[in-house]
This record gives sequence, C-alpha cells and structure tokens, in this order.
Amino acid sequence: MTVDQDTAPEALDAPTVEQALLAFLAEQIKTEVGLDEDLFGSGLVSSMFAMQLVVHLEETFDIAIIGPELKLENFRTVTAMTALVLRLREQQGAESDA
Amino acid sequence: MPESLLAARAAVGDLVGSQPGAWDLAGELPIALLRKLGAQGLLCAEVPQSFGGLGAGSQDNGEFTAYVGALDSSLRSIMTSQGIAAAAVRRFGDREQRKRYLGELTGGRLAAVGFSEPGAGSELAGMGTRITADGEGFVLTGRKMWVTGSAYADYLMIVALHEDAAAAVMVPTDAPGLRIEKIPDPLGCRAAGHCDVYFDDVRLSASAVLGGGGQSLQMIFTTALTYGRMSIAWGCVGILRACLQAASAHAKKRAQAGKVLAEHQLVQRHLAELLVAERSATAVCEQASRAWDANSAELVVSAVLAKHFAAGSAARGAASAVQVLASAGAQDGHVVARAFRDAKCMELIEGTNEICQLVLAQHALSSVD
Repeated sequence: MTVDQDTAPEALDAPTVEQALLAFLAEQIKTEVGLDEDLFGSGLVSSMFAMQLVVHLEETFDIAIIGPELKLENFRTVTAMTALVLRLREQQGAESDA
Repeated sequence: MPESLLAARAAVGDLVGSQPGAWDLAGELPIALLRKLGAQGLLCAEVPQSFGGLGAGSQDNGEFTAYVGALDSSLRSIMTSQGIAAAAVRRFGDREQRKRYLGELTGGRLAAVGFSEPGAGSELAGMGTRITADGEGFVLTGRKMWVTGSAYADYLMIVALHEDAAAAVMVPTDAPGLRIEKIPDPLGCRAAGHCDVYFDDVRLSASAVLGGGGQSLQMIFTTALTYGRMSIAWGCVGILRACLQAASAHAKKRAQAGKVLAEHQLVQRHLAELLVAERSATAVCEQASRAWDANSAELVVSAVLAKHFAAGSAARGAASAVQVLASAGAQDGHVVARAFRDAKCMELIEGTNEICQLVLAQHALSSVD
C-alpha cells in the first residue's frame, strides 16, 4: 500500500493525482498524453492495460472502484480519472471514519 | 487455507469418486452434484463471507481448483465459469446486484459466461451482441459460441455492446427468445456442457445489467478473462498432478522385458519431466495468486503467463503420461486420456497459446525503452 493510512483524504489535490497518473501512463504506454486526451477512443489503452489501470488506481490511492463507478466516462481522460479518484477518496474516507 | 475449503476437498473427493470416466463418456455431469457444490460456495470460493461465500484468497482457491482439476477437468471448468461470473458481479455490479447475484451463486444457482462470437474471439472489434434500451429495461440480440457450462446454467453472464461502450448482463436461461444448442462431441472437457447460444430480442429488466452498463469492453473482458486464466492455470496444475500420479503408479507396477517400467531409464525421464512440470507450474501459479491477493497491477500479465505456462506444461505432460501408460491409458474415460484431450483444450481457451505469446512479448517489449 503506497498511501499512508494516517493521511487525511484532503491531503490529495487534483494536480498531485494528475501528475501521478500522467507519470504512470507515460511509463506504461510509452506515450505522453494530454490531460483531456481520450485514452480509450484513441486506441492507446489495450484490453490488458484497462484492468491494470483500475487496479493501479485502487492500489495507489487506496480506493475501491466497483459497479457503476466503472463507467467508461470515468476513465476516458486523465481529468476524468482524477475527478473519480478525488470523489471516491472523499466518499470512502468518510465511510471508513463513520 | 480456510478450514471449510480444506475439509471440502475430502468431501468433494468422496462425491466425485470414480465417476469422471463415466461423465467423460456420457458427456454430462450430474446437475444435482453441481447444485450441491454450488450451495456450499465451492464453485466460486473467493466470494466474500459478507455475501454468503467462503472468502478464500486466490492462493487457497487455486489449490482447491487444482485438487478438483486433478479429479475432473469438466467439473473444474464449471468452477471456472461460476468463478468468472462471481468476479464480474463483484467488480461491475452495484450494491443491490452484488447482494442478489453473489447470494444466488453461492446458494446453488449456476452461471455460465459468454464471450466468444463467430466474428469475435480474441479480437473484440468484431463483437455483434448488443443490448438496447427498451422502456424500463433492455433488449438483447446476438449470439455467443462455446459457452462452457451453459447446458446446466440458470444464468448466462453475457458481454454485450451497450451504446458506445459495453455491459455485462445476467440473462436468466428461461428468458423467452433465448435458444441454447449443445455442441456435440467436444474434443475435451466433454462433460462441461458447452453450447452455442442465440439471443433473439431477449427482454431484460434493468436490474440484469451489471452496474447499469456503459462500461469499458476492455475492462469487462480483462476482468473476466484474468479470473478465468487463474482458474485454468490452477486446473492445469491439477491435470499435471493426476498425470504424474498415474504415470508413476503405472511405471512402478507394470513389468516389461523382465523388469518394471520404472527401471527403464527412458521411462524415468518422462517421470522426471512430469515432476518438473508440476512443480514449476505450481510455482508460477502461486506467484500469480500472490499478485492477485495483493491486488497488484502485475496480476494481469502474471495470469496470462501462468495460464500459458501451465496449459502448455499440462498438454506436454499429459502426452508423456499417455506414452508411459500406453495401451493401459489409451481409452476415452481413462484419467490420462482425458488429461490428454482436456489439456489440449486449455491451450485454446481464454487466449490461445499464440494470443498469450503476443501479450507476453508486448510486455517484454514495453519494459525497455
């Protein structure tokens, strides 16, 4: 687990998540992508990589992405994934505090 | 290993007994046995206890899968299908669907999973099966081929196109417009109930569409296939164990040219290589299961590697076992004859050898600049 359990969800902001995602994508698909580039429509994402991406997000940001959250729209771009990560951090952080 | 899964081995061994040979010849499994194992959660042992499952990890479920795979690959194939359906429900279903379907899948109801189509095997672009919104629900059209376990299933989990994305849908097998045609005389896993299925405007409630659909086709495929590959890989470990046992036992007691087979060095070589195959396939599966249990992104490639290595090893190992047993094993129904045919099919399913090689080569290439 790469996220400190004591870290409050607020500690993550959009630029931090975006940078982490851009770095992961550059390393994995060997392509520099833009924040709003359509990763699925452009054929950059293979079927193998799509699942690695979900597992990587879960592992890196300590979230669970299941059910309706797996809508393609949530993964199309780095911006969309960042919003998803921040929203789930907030929701799930709140749930585990409850 | 959870106590329940360890104890289950002996119970499953007793229930299966000496029947697999007859199941192979008849091309059919007793459905009462499938429901019984299903109701104990054994067909998809990784379902969490909170949903009525046994809550096994990949490692423990893998060892259990190998145990069943050594007994009978048709029965193991049913576990693979049920496990894929459960994994997809866990990942793609909403809260209500997870509760409902995982409860049913650990309560004696059976599920098969349909991916392949005449125009779309490993190549997703040719897929034609689709759901379309219709009033409160959806309409499903298309066809799937070689759906393992569909002869016994209560549900078919079907991967379909949905608008500009995809969906995994749970189709009750008694739905009007659904037609299931059994495939006669498959090469291997003959009792696994493979059928072609046709959907002619099958009406579905909205609750049949996992998570409401609109998900990535790639994600649905890889989620399902990755579980399937793990299960098949462990099943192949079981095939190797059954072959090693049968070949060793035969070599020890069968005399030829004045000495038992085991004293002939060329026979010993077969046994040595079978042992190496069984141990190394086990190690590769354990590595992949560790990645799965740790939810590491490595798990996707590790599952392909494990499946490819275990299936190839099982196919070669089963051929060696038939060689050692010769006429004693060269008859349908015999454990090594079944292994020989079943293992060959494992080199075709959930990504052929060649597709696995392409994925693995891509992985090797992506790790250098």
